[in-house]
Amino acid sequence: MKTTTMLFVSEFEELWFDALQSLMGLRKAGLNHVVFLHVIQREKVAMRRGTGYLKQEERKLREIADIRFIDWAETLFEEGMEVGAHIAIGNVVPKILSVAEIEKVDLIVTARKRRGKLEELFAGSETSDLLRRTVKPVLIYNYLSQSGKVGENPFERLLLALDWSVSSEKVLDFVLSLKGAIKRVEIIHVLSEKGIGKLSKMEAHKVERDNKKRLDEVCDVFAKERFDARPHLYIGSAEEQIEKGASEHKATMIIVGTRRASVWKEKWSGSVAHSLAEKSELPLLVVPADVK
Amino acid sequence: MAKKVLNVEDDPDIRTFVTTVLEENGYIPIMAKDGEEGTKKVKQEKPDLIILDILMPKESGIKMYHELKRDPSHKDIPVVMLSGVSKRTFLRSQVALTEFGDETVPEPEAYLEKPVEAEDLAEILKKILG
Repeated sequence: MKTTTMLFVSEFEELWFDALQSLMGLRKAGLNHVVFLHVIQREKVAMRRGTGYLKQEERKLREIADIRFIDWAETLFEEGMEVGAHIAIGNVVPKILSVAEIEKVDLIVTARKRRGKLEELFAGSETSDLLRRTVKPVLIYNYLSQSGKVGENPFERLLLALDWSVSSEKVLDFVLSLKGAIKRVEIIHVLSEKGIGKLSKMEAHKVERDNKKRLDEVCDVFAKERFDARPHLYIGSAEEQIEKGASEHKATMIIVGTRRASVWKEKWSGSVAHSLAEKSELPLLVVPADVK
Repeated sequence: MAKKVLNVEDDPDIRTFVTTVLEENGYIPIMAKDGEEGTKKVKQEKPDLIILDILMPKESGIKMYHELKRDPSHKDIPVVMLSGVSKRTFLRSQVALTEFGDETVPEPEAYLEKPVEAEDLAEILKKILG
Protein backbone atom coordinates (compact mmCIF):
# COMPACT_ATOMS: atom_id res chain seq x y z
CA MET A 1 0.00 0.00 0.00
CA LYS A 2 1.65 3.23 -1.15
CA THR A 3 0.16 6.66 -1.73
CA THR A 4 1.53 7.79 -5.07
CA THR A 5 -1.61 9.21 -6.72
CA MET A 6 -4.05 11.57 -5.05
CA LEU A 7 -7.45 12.68 -6.34
CA PHE A 8 -8.16 16.27 -5.29
CA VAL A 9 -11.85 17.07 -5.64
CA SER A 10 -12.63 20.77 -5.59
CA GLU A 11 -15.76 22.79 -6.14
CA PHE A 12 -13.57 25.89 -5.65
CA GLU A 13 -15.88 27.28 -2.99
CA GLU A 14 -14.56 25.01 -0.25
CA LEU A 15 -11.19 23.58 -1.21
CA TRP A 16 -8.41 25.78 -2.49
CA PHE A 17 -4.79 25.56 -3.46
CA ASP A 18 -3.57 26.18 0.10
CA ALA A 19 -5.23 22.90 1.13
CA LEU A 20 -3.49 21.12 -1.74
CA GLN A 21 -0.12 22.63 -0.88
CA SER A 22 -0.51 21.61 2.75
CA LEU A 23 -0.63 17.99 1.54
CA MET A 24 2.66 18.14 -0.32
CA GLY A 25 4.37 16.63 2.73
CA LEU A 26 3.01 13.36 1.31
CA ARG A 27 5.74 13.54 -1.34
CA LYS A 28 8.09 12.22 1.32
CA ALA A 29 5.87 9.12 1.42
CA GLY A 30 5.91 8.66 -2.36
CA LEU A 31 3.20 11.01 -3.68
CA ASN A 32 4.11 12.04 -7.24
CA HIS A 33 0.81 12.41 -9.09
CA VAL A 34 -2.15 14.70 -8.39
CA VAL A 35 -5.43 14.41 -10.29
CA PHE A 36 -7.88 17.31 -10.10
CA LEU A 37 -11.60 16.79 -10.37
CA HIS A 38 -14.25 19.47 -10.62
CA VAL A 39 -17.87 18.38 -10.97
CA ILE A 40 -20.36 20.87 -12.39
CA GLN A 41 -23.70 20.06 -10.81
CA ARG A 42 -26.27 19.10 -13.39
CA GLU A 43 -28.86 21.57 -12.12
CA LYS A 44 -26.52 24.47 -12.94
CA VAL A 45 -26.71 23.69 -16.66
CA ALA A 46 -29.90 21.64 -16.87
CA MET A 47 -32.78 22.27 -19.26
CA ARG A 48 -34.92 25.29 -18.38
CA ARG A 49 -38.30 26.18 -19.83
CA GLY A 50 -37.76 28.60 -22.66
CA THR A 51 -33.96 28.41 -22.71
CA GLY A 52 -33.25 24.67 -23.10
CA TYR A 53 -29.90 23.17 -22.11
CA LEU A 54 -27.54 25.93 -20.93
CA LYS A 55 -24.63 25.11 -23.25
CA GLN A 56 -23.14 28.57 -22.87
CA GLU A 57 -23.24 28.28 -19.07
CA GLU A 58 -21.57 24.88 -19.26
CA ARG A 59 -18.82 26.32 -21.45
CA LYS A 60 -18.29 29.18 -19.01
CA LEU A 61 -18.12 26.88 -15.96
CA ARG A 62 -15.72 24.53 -17.73
CA GLU A 63 -13.53 27.48 -18.71
CA ILE A 64 -13.43 28.77 -15.11
CA ALA A 65 -12.46 25.33 -13.82
CA ASP A 66 -9.83 24.95 -16.54
CA ILE A 67 -8.20 28.30 -15.73
CA ARG A 68 -8.01 27.45 -12.02
CA PHE A 69 -6.65 23.96 -12.61
CA ILE A 70 -3.99 25.25 -15.01
CA ASP A 71 -2.85 27.75 -12.39
CA TRP A 72 -2.62 25.03 -9.72
CA ALA A 73 -1.04 22.53 -12.12
CA GLU A 74 1.69 24.95 -13.18
CA THR A 75 3.04 25.09 -9.61
CA LEU A 76 3.02 21.31 -9.27
CA PHE A 77 4.52 20.66 -12.74
CA GLU A 78 7.42 22.99 -11.91
CA GLU A 79 8.10 20.87 -8.81
CA GLY A 80 8.38 17.76 -10.98
CA MET A 81 4.94 16.35 -10.13
CA GLU A 82 2.62 14.65 -12.62
CA VAL A 83 -0.78 16.34 -12.83
CA GLY A 84 -4.05 15.39 -14.50
CA ALA A 85 -7.45 17.05 -14.59
CA HIS A 86 -11.07 16.04 -15.07
CA ILE A 87 -13.97 18.44 -15.44
CA ALA A 88 -17.31 16.64 -15.47
CA ILE A 89 -21.03 17.29 -15.29
CA GLY A 90 -23.28 15.23 -13.04
CA ASN A 91 -23.52 13.96 -9.48
CA VAL A 92 -20.40 14.39 -7.38
CA VAL A 93 -20.12 10.97 -5.72
CA PRO A 94 -20.46 8.77 -8.85
CA LYS A 95 -17.97 11.02 -10.67
CA ILE A 96 -15.46 10.76 -7.81
CA LEU A 97 -15.80 6.97 -7.82
CA SER A 98 -15.40 6.75 -11.58
CA VAL A 99 -12.34 9.05 -11.79
CA ALA A 100 -10.76 7.29 -8.78
CA GLU A 101 -11.10 4.04 -10.74
CA ILE A 102 -9.87 5.43 -14.08
CA GLU A 103 -6.84 7.14 -12.55
CA LYS A 104 -6.13 4.32 -10.06
CA VAL A 105 -5.80 6.78 -7.19
CA ASP A 106 -4.57 5.81 -3.73
CA LEU A 107 -6.21 8.65 -1.81
CA ILE A 108 -9.27 10.85 -2.34
CA VAL A 109 -9.21 14.37 -0.91
CA THR A 110 -12.48 16.25 -0.69
CA ALA A 111 -14.23 18.82 1.44
CA ARG A 112 -17.30 18.02 3.51
CA LYS A 113 -20.24 17.96 1.13
CA ARG A 114 -23.82 18.55 2.18
CA ARG A 115 -27.20 18.05 0.54
CA GLY A 116 -30.58 19.64 1.17
CA LYS A 117 -32.05 18.87 4.63
CA LEU A 118 -34.79 16.57 3.36
CA GLU A 119 -32.44 14.69 1.06
CA GLU A 120 -29.90 14.30 3.90
CA LEU A 121 -32.58 12.82 6.13
CA PHE A 122 -33.19 9.99 3.66
CA ALA A 123 -29.88 9.58 1.89
CA GLY A 124 -27.34 11.09 4.31
CA SER A 125 -24.78 13.68 3.21
CA GLU A 126 -22.70 13.30 0.06
CA THR A 127 -19.66 12.74 2.30
CA SER A 128 -21.40 9.80 4.00
CA ASP A 129 -22.44 8.48 0.61
CA LEU A 130 -18.83 8.61 -0.60
CA LEU A 131 -17.51 6.91 2.54
CA ARG A 132 -20.07 4.15 2.13
CA ARG A 133 -19.27 3.48 -1.51
CA THR A 134 -15.52 3.87 -1.91
CA VAL A 135 -12.73 1.39 -1.28
CA LYS A 136 -10.13 4.16 -1.22
CA PRO A 137 -8.94 6.13 1.80
CA VAL A 138 -10.73 9.48 1.92
CA LEU A 139 -9.33 12.64 3.45
CA ILE A 140 -12.15 15.00 4.33
CA TYR A 141 -10.64 18.40 4.48
CA ASN A 142 -12.27 21.05 6.59
CA TYR A 143 -11.07 24.57 6.85
CA LEU A 144 -10.13 25.10 10.48
CA SER A 145 -12.95 26.77 12.42
CA GLN A 146 -14.00 30.18 11.21
CA SER A 147 -10.51 31.40 10.29
CA GLY A 148 -10.69 29.99 6.76
CA LYS A 149 -7.09 28.85 7.12
CA VAL A 150 -5.69 25.36 6.76
CA GLY A 151 -2.99 23.84 8.90
CA GLU A 152 0.45 23.92 7.29
CA ASN A 153 0.90 20.17 7.34
CA PRO A 154 -2.03 18.03 8.48
CA PHE A 155 0.19 14.94 8.55
CA GLU A 156 2.47 16.47 11.17
CA ARG A 157 0.67 15.14 14.24
CA LEU A 158 -1.92 12.43 13.74
CA LEU A 159 -4.52 11.16 16.14
CA LEU A 160 -4.94 7.53 15.20
CA ALA A 161 -8.13 6.03 16.65
CA LEU A 162 -8.13 2.23 16.94
CA ASP A 163 -11.03 -0.02 17.98
CA TRP A 164 -9.13 -3.30 17.46
CA SER A 165 -11.34 -4.31 14.53
CA VAL A 166 -10.25 -5.45 11.04
CA SER A 167 -10.59 -1.85 9.88
CA SER A 168 -8.11 -0.82 12.61
CA GLU A 169 -5.53 -3.14 11.09
CA LYS A 170 -6.06 -1.50 7.69
CA VAL A 171 -5.69 1.97 9.23
CA LEU A 172 -2.49 0.88 10.91
CA ASP A 173 -1.03 -0.45 7.64
CA PHE A 174 -2.03 2.75 5.87
CA VAL A 175 -0.39 5.01 8.46
CA LEU A 176 2.78 2.91 8.40
CA SER A 177 2.88 3.31 4.61
CA LEU A 178 3.04 7.09 5.06
CA LYS A 179 6.45 6.87 6.74
CA GLY A 180 8.43 10.00 6.07
CA ALA A 181 5.38 12.25 5.87
CA ILE A 182 4.28 11.85 9.50
CA LYS A 183 6.09 13.40 12.45
CA ARG A 184 4.14 12.06 15.41
CA VAL A 185 1.28 9.65 16.05
CA GLU A 186 -1.02 9.85 19.06
CA ILE A 187 -2.71 6.45 19.28
CA ILE A 188 -6.05 6.40 21.06
CA HIS A 189 -8.45 3.65 22.06
CA VAL A 190 -11.78 4.60 23.62
CA LEU A 191 -13.39 2.27 26.18
CA SER A 192 -17.16 2.29 26.33
CA GLU A 193 -18.41 3.91 29.55
CA LYS A 194 -21.49 1.68 29.49
CA GLY A 195 -19.43 -1.49 29.07
CA ILE A 196 -17.04 -0.60 31.89
CA GLY A 197 -19.94 0.39 34.18
CA LYS A 198 -21.29 -3.17 34.06
CA LEU A 199 -18.01 -4.70 35.25
CA SER A 200 -16.65 -5.24 38.75
CA LYS A 201 -13.70 -3.08 39.78
CA MET A 202 -11.32 -5.97 39.24
CA GLU A 203 -12.72 -6.75 35.79
CA ALA A 204 -12.59 -3.06 34.81
CA HIS A 205 -8.92 -2.90 35.80
CA LYS A 206 -8.24 -6.00 33.74
CA VAL A 207 -9.89 -4.44 30.67
CA GLU A 208 -7.87 -1.28 31.23
CA ARG A 209 -4.62 -3.25 31.57
CA ASP A 210 -5.32 -5.37 28.47
CA ASN A 211 -6.07 -2.34 26.32
CA LYS A 212 -3.01 -0.46 27.55
CA LYS A 213 -0.94 -3.51 26.65
CA ARG A 214 -2.42 -3.56 23.13
CA LEU A 215 -1.74 0.15 22.74
CA ASP A 216 1.87 -0.38 23.85
CA GLU A 217 2.24 -3.19 21.30
CA VAL A 218 1.02 -0.86 18.53
CA CYS A 219 3.47 1.80 19.72
CA ASP A 220 6.26 -0.79 19.50
CA VAL A 221 5.29 -1.49 15.86
CA PHE A 222 5.55 2.23 15.12
CA ALA A 223 8.81 2.58 17.07
CA LYS A 224 10.35 -0.20 14.95
CA GLU A 225 9.55 1.90 11.87
CA ARG A 226 11.04 4.97 13.58
CA PHE A 227 7.76 6.79 14.21
CA ASP A 228 7.30 8.87 17.33
CA ALA A 229 4.13 7.27 18.75
CA ARG A 230 2.31 7.71 22.09
CA PRO A 231 -0.52 5.56 23.55
CA HIS A 232 -3.69 7.04 25.08
CA LEU A 233 -6.61 5.22 26.67
CA TYR A 234 -9.84 7.20 26.98
CA ILE A 235 -13.28 6.31 28.25
CA GLY A 236 -16.68 7.54 27.11
CA SER A 237 -18.42 8.10 23.78
CA ALA A 238 -15.95 7.20 21.00
CA GLU A 239 -16.76 10.20 18.83
CA GLU A 240 -16.56 12.72 21.69
CA GLN A 241 -13.40 11.25 23.17
CA ILE A 242 -11.61 11.13 19.82
CA GLU A 243 -12.34 14.82 19.33
CA LYS A 244 -11.25 15.52 22.91
CA GLY A 245 -8.03 13.53 22.41
CA ALA A 246 -7.31 15.40 19.21
CA SER A 247 -7.71 18.70 21.00
CA GLU A 248 -5.69 17.70 24.09
CA HIS A 249 -2.77 16.40 22.05
CA LYS A 250 -2.91 19.20 19.47
CA ALA A 251 -3.47 16.76 16.63
CA THR A 252 -3.45 18.14 13.10
CA MET A 253 -5.54 15.30 11.69
CA ILE A 254 -7.71 12.39 12.86
CA ILE A 255 -7.46 8.95 11.25
CA VAL A 256 -10.11 6.29 11.70
CA GLY A 257 -11.26 3.13 9.99
CA THR A 258 -14.75 2.38 8.76
CA ARG A 259 -16.83 -0.65 7.95
CA ARG A 260 -19.39 -0.91 5.19
CA ALA A 261 -22.97 -0.43 6.40
CA SER A 262 -26.31 0.48 4.89
CA VAL A 263 -27.66 4.03 5.13
CA TRP A 264 -30.27 3.02 7.70
CA LYS A 265 -28.00 0.87 9.83
CA GLU A 266 -25.55 3.71 9.90
CA LYS A 267 -28.23 6.23 10.73
CA TRP A 268 -29.66 4.28 13.66
CA SER A 269 -26.67 2.44 15.05
CA GLY A 270 -24.29 5.28 14.29
CA SER A 271 -20.78 5.20 12.85
CA VAL A 272 -17.89 7.03 14.44
CA ALA A 273 -16.24 7.74 11.07
CA HIS A 274 -19.41 9.11 9.51
CA SER A 275 -20.24 11.17 12.55
CA LEU A 276 -16.73 12.66 12.71
CA ALA A 277 -16.90 13.33 8.97
CA GLU A 278 -19.96 15.51 9.55
CA LYS A 279 -18.72 17.36 12.62
CA SER A 280 -14.96 17.36 13.07
CA GLU A 281 -13.18 20.63 12.47
CA LEU A 282 -9.88 18.84 11.88
CA PRO A 283 -9.09 17.09 8.60
CA LEU A 284 -10.32 13.51 8.90
CA LEU A 285 -8.78 10.56 7.08
CA VAL A 286 -11.07 7.54 6.79
CA VAL A 287 -9.64 4.18 5.75
CA PRO A 288 -12.21 1.57 4.65
CA ALA A 289 -11.90 -1.98 5.97
CA ASP A 290 -11.92 -3.27 2.38
CA VAL A 291 -9.37 -0.69 1.17
CA LYS A 292 -7.88 -1.35 -2.28
CA MET B 1 1.63 11.18 -49.73
CA ALA B 2 -0.23 13.23 -47.10
CA LYS B 3 1.51 13.46 -43.74
CA LYS B 4 -0.04 12.16 -40.56
CA VAL B 5 -0.46 14.52 -37.59
CA LEU B 6 -1.41 13.21 -34.17
CA ASN B 7 -3.35 15.61 -31.95
CA VAL B 8 -3.36 14.70 -28.26
CA GLU B 9 -6.05 16.82 -26.64
CA ASP B 10 -8.81 16.22 -24.08
CA ASP B 11 -11.06 19.15 -25.04
CA PRO B 12 -13.47 18.01 -27.80
CA ASP B 13 -13.92 21.59 -29.09
CA ILE B 14 -10.19 22.01 -29.62
CA ARG B 15 -9.92 18.53 -31.17
CA THR B 16 -12.57 19.59 -33.72
CA PHE B 17 -10.75 22.87 -34.38
CA VAL B 18 -7.38 21.15 -34.93
CA THR B 19 -8.95 18.45 -37.11
CA THR B 20 -10.45 21.14 -39.35
CA VAL B 21 -7.12 22.97 -39.65
CA LEU B 22 -5.30 19.73 -40.45
CA GLU B 23 -7.81 18.58 -43.08
CA GLU B 24 -7.95 21.99 -44.74
CA ASN B 25 -4.18 21.97 -45.08
CA GLY B 26 -3.97 18.48 -46.52
CA TYR B 27 -2.76 16.52 -43.49
CA ILE B 28 -4.25 13.29 -42.12
CA PRO B 29 -5.52 13.92 -38.57
CA ILE B 30 -5.20 11.26 -35.88
CA MET B 31 -6.80 11.96 -32.52
CA ALA B 32 -6.05 10.90 -28.95
CA LYS B 33 -7.85 12.25 -25.90
CA ASP B 34 -5.11 11.84 -23.27
CA GLY B 35 -1.41 11.13 -22.92
CA GLU B 36 -1.90 7.41 -22.41
CA GLU B 37 -3.88 7.03 -25.65
CA GLY B 38 -1.44 9.43 -27.33
CA THR B 39 1.54 7.19 -26.52
CA LYS B 40 -0.33 4.17 -27.93
CA LYS B 41 -1.19 6.06 -31.14
CA VAL B 42 2.45 7.14 -31.59
CA LYS B 43 3.49 3.48 -31.61
CA GLN B 44 0.61 2.34 -33.84
CA GLU B 45 0.42 5.19 -36.35
CA LYS B 46 4.00 6.55 -36.40
CA PRO B 47 2.85 10.15 -37.06
CA ASP B 48 5.00 12.74 -38.83
CA LEU B 49 4.21 15.36 -36.20
CA ILE B 50 2.47 15.57 -32.82
CA ILE B 51 0.34 18.44 -31.53
CA LEU B 52 0.32 18.02 -27.78
CA ASP B 53 -1.78 19.50 -24.98
CA ILE B 54 -0.49 19.42 -21.39
CA LEU B 55 -3.21 19.21 -18.74
CA MET B 56 -5.19 16.07 -19.54
CA PRO B 57 -6.59 13.03 -17.74
CA LYS B 58 -4.54 9.83 -17.29
CA GLU B 59 -1.18 11.17 -18.53
CA SER B 60 -0.09 14.77 -18.93
CA GLY B 61 1.59 16.18 -22.03
CA ILE B 62 4.62 16.95 -19.87
CA LYS B 63 5.15 13.29 -19.03
CA MET B 64 4.29 12.12 -22.55
CA TYR B 65 6.74 14.61 -24.10
CA HIS B 66 9.51 13.60 -21.71
CA GLU B 67 9.04 9.91 -22.43
CA LEU B 68 8.75 10.49 -26.17
CA LYS B 69 12.02 12.41 -26.33
CA ARG B 70 13.85 9.73 -24.33
CA ASP B 71 12.61 6.96 -26.62
CA PRO B 72 15.19 6.39 -29.41
CA SER B 73 12.56 5.21 -31.89
CA HIS B 74 10.30 8.26 -31.47
CA LYS B 75 12.52 11.09 -30.28
CA ASP B 76 12.86 12.59 -33.76
CA ILE B 77 9.11 13.13 -34.27
CA PRO B 78 8.61 16.91 -34.17
CA VAL B 79 6.27 18.13 -31.44
CA VAL B 80 4.16 21.29 -31.34
CA MET B 81 2.92 22.04 -27.84
CA LEU B 82 -0.56 23.60 -27.79
CA SER B 83 -1.65 24.35 -24.26
CA GLY B 84 -3.00 26.82 -21.71
CA VAL B 85 0.05 26.03 -19.57
CA SER B 86 2.80 28.59 -20.10
CA LYS B 87 6.02 27.73 -21.97
CA ARG B 88 8.00 28.83 -18.91
CA THR B 89 6.25 26.20 -16.78
CA PHE B 90 6.73 23.56 -19.47
CA LEU B 91 10.47 24.18 -19.65
CA ARG B 92 10.82 24.29 -15.85
CA SER B 93 8.87 21.04 -15.52
CA GLN B 94 11.23 19.31 -17.96
CA VAL B 95 14.19 20.53 -15.88
CA ALA B 96 12.43 19.33 -12.69
CA LEU B 97 12.05 15.85 -14.21
CA THR B 98 15.80 15.69 -14.89
CA GLU B 99 16.41 16.39 -11.19
CA PHE B 100 14.98 12.94 -10.48
CA GLY B 101 17.76 11.37 -12.51
CA ASP B 102 16.19 11.58 -15.97
CA GLU B 103 18.14 12.76 -19.01
CA THR B 104 17.63 16.27 -20.32
CA VAL B 105 15.37 16.52 -23.36
CA PRO B 106 15.39 19.08 -26.19
CA GLU B 107 12.83 21.87 -26.46
CA PRO B 108 9.79 21.22 -28.67
CA GLU B 109 9.78 22.45 -32.28
CA ALA B 110 7.14 25.05 -31.41
CA TYR B 111 5.16 26.19 -28.40
CA LEU B 112 1.71 27.70 -28.89
CA GLU B 113 -0.33 29.01 -26.00
CA LYS B 114 -4.11 28.66 -26.30
CA PRO B 115 -6.09 30.17 -27.90
CA VAL B 116 -4.39 29.90 -31.28
CA GLU B 117 -5.53 31.20 -34.67
CA ALA B 118 -6.04 28.65 -37.47
CA GLU B 119 -3.58 30.52 -39.74
CA ASP B 120 -0.85 30.52 -37.06
CA LEU B 121 -1.21 26.79 -36.50
CA ALA B 122 -1.23 26.08 -40.25
CA GLU B 123 1.88 28.21 -40.74
CA ILE B 124 3.80 26.39 -37.99
CA LEU B 125 2.82 23.00 -39.45
CA LYS B 126 3.91 24.07 -42.93
CA LYS B 127 7.22 25.36 -41.58
CA ILE B 128 7.99 22.06 -39.84
CA LEU B 129 6.51 19.53 -42.29
CA GLY B 130 7.02 21.43 -45.50
